[in-house]
Amino acid sequence: MKIETTRFGTISIKKEKIIDMPFGMLGFPDKKKFIILQHRENSPFFWYQSADDPTIAFVITSPFLFKPDYKVDIEDALKEMSWNGDGKTDHLETYIVVNIPKGLPEKMTGNFIGPILINNKVRQAVQIVISNSPYIHNFPLLSV
Amino acid sequence: MLILTRKLGEKINIGDDISVTLLEIKGAQVKIGIQAPKSIGIHRNEIYEKIREENLGSSNISDSDLSKAATLL
Repeated sequence: MKIETTRFGTISIKKEKIIDMPFGMLGFPDKKKFIILQHRENSPFFWYQSADDPTIAFVITSPFLFKPDYKVDIEDALKEMSWNGDGKTDHLETYIVVNIPKGLPEKMTGNFIGPILINNKVRQAVQIVISNSPYIHNFPLLSV
Repeated sequence: MLILTRKLGEKINIGDDISVTLLEIKGAQVKIGIQAPKSIGIHRNEIYEKIREENLGSSNISDSDLSKAATLL
């Protein structure tokens, strides 16, 4: 199927590649379909492109590149999404949302309290909210 | 905004399936219990706002800033 995007033009993608987000991203509740596009070769970033709205694309990356011991209590998310079928979590992928102030790439940060969990088995995702953790919403990705 | 006065232990119902209970009052802090369907997100406002702002910022990143960022890592 074809997806219109303002950044990348028209993209052809297999239907099974589409990720369903029943509750959307926080602040964007009505965008419920997404695709992941690698930013470019050797880049740690991905575009999390809305399949509903050509103009919306978030930047995401793996939290483990920056915090190898990053740990999320996913029990609530599993329950909320009714994902706890076989109790295995190896089909779950974790991403964090990246932010870059305009023109200041060296000030890039990652939001470690609002990770996106993607279930590759059912192609569903949810952005969860982590409270009472040692993590912050604007952790510098470039260590000084 | 609707403003209601409640005593400790009393409840407020919102629609058929949401209820809010005043559980504890300690000085300037109150503890409230919320019962709601799983599909309704309940978040502390300050955390919710932070995540919302990060999402909004992320959706405005230009390709050139991202490419520069990638070369810095």
